[in-house]
Amino acid sequence: MPHEIRVPRLGWSMEEGTFVSWRKRPGEHVAAGEILFEFEGEKALQEIESLDTGVLQIPDDSPAPGTVVPVGQLLGYLLDSGESIPGESSSGSPHVPRQLPIEAAGFPTLAEARSAVAETQPPAATIASPRARRIAADLGLDWTVLTGTGLGGRVRESDVRAAALSLDVPSKPIPAGPPQTSEPKRVRVSPRRKAIANRLRLSSQRAIPVTITTVADATNLVGLRDQFKASGARIIPSLTDIVACLVAGVFKSHPHVAARWEVDRESLVQAADDGFHIGIAVDTPDGLLVPVIRDVGRKSLLDVATASRTLIEQARKGRLGADDMQDGVFTITNLGAFGIDTFTPIINYPEIAVLGLGAIRREADSFLDGRNTSPGRMVLSLTFDHAALDGAPAAAFLKDLSASVANAAACLMSR
Amino acid sequence: MTETQAPTDFDTLRRLYRTMQVIRQTEEELARCHQRGLIHGACHTYVGQEAIAAGVCAHLKANDVVFSTHRGHGHALAKGMPPRELIAELFGRDGGCSRGRGGSMHLFSPEIGMMGTSGIVGPCILQACGGGYSSKLLRNGTVGVAFFGDGAVNNGAFHEGLNMASIWKLPVLFVCENNQFATEVPFAYASGIADVGRRGAAYGITGVELDGNDALEIYRVAGEAVARARSGDGPTLIECRTYRTRAHAEGMGDFTYRTKEDVETWKTRCPIVRMRRVASDNPPAGLSADELSRQFDAIDEEIHDVVRDAREFAEACPPPSRDTATQHVYAELSPRRPSELGAPTSSRTITFSEATLEALADEMARNPRIFVMGEGIGKRGGNFLTTKGLYGKFGAERLCDTPICERGFVGLACGAAMTGTRPVIDFMFADFVLDGCGEIVNQIAKMQYMSSGRLKMPVLLRGCIGIGHSAATHHSGSYYGIYGQVPGLRVVVPSTGFDAKGLLRHALRCDDPVLFLEHREILQTKGPVPESDYEIEFGKARVVRVGRDITIVALARMVHLTLTVCDELEREGISVELVDPRTVSPLDTETILRSVHKTGRLLIVDESPAPYGFGAEIAARVGEDGFNDLDAPIRRLTGAFCPTPYSPSLEEAVVPGPRDVANAVRNLMKE
Repeated sequence: MPHEIRVPRLGWSMEEGTFVSWRKRPGEHVAAGEILFEFEGEKALQEIESLDTGVLQIPDDSPAPGTVVPVGQLLGYLLDSGESIPGESSSGSPHVPRQLPIEAAGFPTLAEARSAVAETQPPAATIASPRARRIAADLGLDWTVLTGTGLGGRVRESDVRAAALSLDVPSKPIPAGPPQTSEPKRVRVSPRRKAIANRLRLSSQRAIPVTITTVADATNLVGLRDQFKASGARIIPSLTDIVACLVAGVFKSHPHVAARWEVDRESLVQAADDGFHIGIAVDTPDGLLVPVIRDVGRKSLLDVATASRTLIEQARKGRLGADDMQDGVFTITNLGAFGIDTFTPIINYPEIAVLGLGAIRREADSFLDGRNTSPGRMVLSLTFDHAALDGAPAAAFLKDLSASVANAAACLMSR
Repeated sequence: MTETQAPTDFDTLRRLYRTMQVIRQTEEELARCHQRGLIHGACHTYVGQEAIAAGVCAHLKANDVVFSTHRGHGHALAKGMPPRELIAELFGRDGGCSRGRGGSMHLFSPEIGMMGTSGIVGPCILQACGGGYSSKLLRNGTVGVAFFGDGAVNNGAFHEGLNMASIWKLPVLFVCENNQFATEVPFAYASGIADVGRRGAAYGITGVELDGNDALEIYRVAGEAVARARSGDGPTLIECRTYRTRAHAEGMGDFTYRTKEDVETWKTRCPIVRMRRVASDNPPAGLSADELSRQFDAIDEEIHDVVRDAREFAEACPPPSRDTATQHVYAELSPRRPSELGAPTSSRTITFSEATLEALADEMARNPRIFVMGEGIGKRGGNFLTTKGLYGKFGAERLCDTPICERGFVGLACGAAMTGTRPVIDFMFADFVLDGCGEIVNQIAKMQYMSSGRLKMPVLLRGCIGIGHSAATHHSGSYYGIYGQVPGLRVVVPSTGFDAKGLLRHALRCDDPVLFLEHREILQTKGPVPESDYEIEFGKARVVRVGRDITIVALARMVHLTLTVCDELEREGISVELVDPRTVSPLDTETILRSVHKTGRLLIVDESPAPYGFGAEIAARVGEDGFNDLDAPIRRLTGAFCPTPYSPSLEEAVVPGPRDVANAVRNLMKE
């Protein structure tokens, strides 16, 4: 029996997505578990593993790369030796193959998102139910960038709510567009840019942000990194990695900071014991992404560093999966590399707090302890949602975090 | 033609003369006002026919009841309506007898027993029967009088009314004013026999034929008829041969169907001139001819002043405020609050039929004004056991079996309700009562409004609806959508015994006409029904099942049908919220909108065909007021647009089944 290769459902509400490309050539042998093709669902690009073993055969009418296809659409076959592609009439597909030209499909492909600065205009959803429109307006979302799961691609309430739930918040500005010529150039905003705008808008509508800052003694933090470097370790944790581990440690005495709003905003959900999933803001060519390092509280610093390195790499390649960006309870963003000291990061709603790391300064005029070697100092900027958290507990958290940064090695070993 | 000798009683003579003059001068003034454009609509005058109203009404007391036709000014004035109220009504003023709601053809003054005139030919005959039935039931000695033209006697209402009056010996006078033209069609052409009076024999009642321009003779005969009625000897048919000497309606051409010569000839037979002549030829004792003439002249002068005053009054009257335009469609809400129970809590389980029977029996025991009419509802206890055992308790007058004349007894119910009793019309199958639909839609539903709220219309019209068991097309209709379009009606379509008992009790206590439609296929379903005396208010939907994903609105059997698939859908992950409005009119859109606000999806399951129906109304209301809550198009699952066939395979195909409901839900979830 030839094994059918069909478009998988990549989320509970996904009805269609973009077939991006084959990773195997026709006639090539494919083993179960090997990556067979790339597919872009509602949230991200995914590599799809083969479920079966056989020789890949791609029928002539199989969707071309870049085509929007419905879940269940037949893509090809894996054949055993001696088998051939079944006749077209006997495909037995319960789904009527529906190959929509991109223009009519209503959802931009990642390829288009990547070339968003180009002059092609990405298509958008053209219909939405009245209820979906109302809810999108309430949430400050632009429904035209969403994928409609209703009949004919109609955007429904569930699509809007799902989009609202999966939002992540950029915490630093996106690089400016192409340089202006004498003629003002109109650049159509990319879908990713729109998605980022939606998330920001949602955060600004929902959260009541307050930013507090403190100066932490970063001497030991820098020293710790130096020790990793001097030891010739294969992986050297970044400052963000170390701070993420320290934050997870401080969460144990401040569990109310590691929380998310429920959809109905009636309750706050605190992270389970040690299961602190912490997002890290990553600047990519396509815009800001916030992959989430899972279970930071249970991981060693090296494990965290390894995980974050992989995530950042995936993010920059545009290969981040949807799962990689979900369930965070806190986000860390670092603008120190740009020489920024203090800023007001935006909360990654429905999370309730975000930490901004500034540049580490060695201050030559410091005479704190009478020695010539001045300590490194770093500003910690904590934005918290006052709707969820009051000033005093937020300040207490930041104070403890500052102390933890000052004594990084001891805190890491005792956490 | 022989002329009746003047009576010895000069007061009666003068009274009749005066009434005729009031009518004549008021009508002539109205004709002038019509020419001047002061009358907005039609104006049908009674000029030439004054002797009849004067002669009959002279015998009536204020609580005797008159029902009349489109040519009713004379009857209203003769029954005692001041010319001021009549003229003001035709001017469309607030001081008019119907407060500006009626005009020439809808004159109401129930306070003086002027129960109304009608633009439809025939119903007044049936309503007078109703007045007679109330009199019989209340034993108050009153008489009902129907005035109608020759046009009405070839209408079914005449046949049905006279027959009912005969078999129940109702105290009624049927006064036919044969002015020889039904609008413009000659009676000689329209009737198989040349006269009306002898038709009485066909119904076993007294029939009389009179000179309709002879007030004294009419007075004499009417006196006998009223005495016959009051003494319990039944109705009388009186044909009065007369002629209207003005056009059918003011401003209409008159000589396409009759000649000027004919009209001039009949003018010489003027009943007023004639009475003066007769009186002066045979003056009452102690009066000279000159003295008599002066007395008549004095009356003329007096009436002249009365009519001038009336017109001035009418002109000075303000028009009714437009804010009041929709007042009195329904009776004012009773101050008593219905005692609704939230949900059936009783441990007692009885059938739907038993529940309504209990409510009816209790209310009949409590209220002696309630009577039931229908075919086989007496000793037999009703085709669907709707009156089982009541005949033994309440007797034949209150459990009144009828001939098969739906229009007749529905029209009778209208007159009965207008005159103080509370009829329950049991028409067995809703299909049957369509023959009486005009009485429901044109008369019963409109009476409260047209009388500006001074009449109450507590009529309960009940019968079975619904498709099933190969009842075929004349025993399967539902029609609630049709009745739901009629202002003035309440339309109740219960799905459970609990609801049916509470709603029926409310229907028997409210003052509005209620269509109580019972789905035949659920009459034997059992459910908890408390023995207590509870009422369920109209316009309060019941959320039968709470759900999350989709709202279904259904009535009667469709509620039960929908419930059979809800669990299956729940297992598929589709949570259904089922709303039973319980009453089609008023419709509880608030509960439906609240549900759609929650679920975002609406399916209406309705056994009736879709066009202009129950589902269409709900869909429109939700589209208007719940648009932004909709996550998918509104869908209707309805019966086929088709009469109901007999064969089970065909019958099943025209009504929604459980699979249809489940699939409609699944499809709607995909939208």
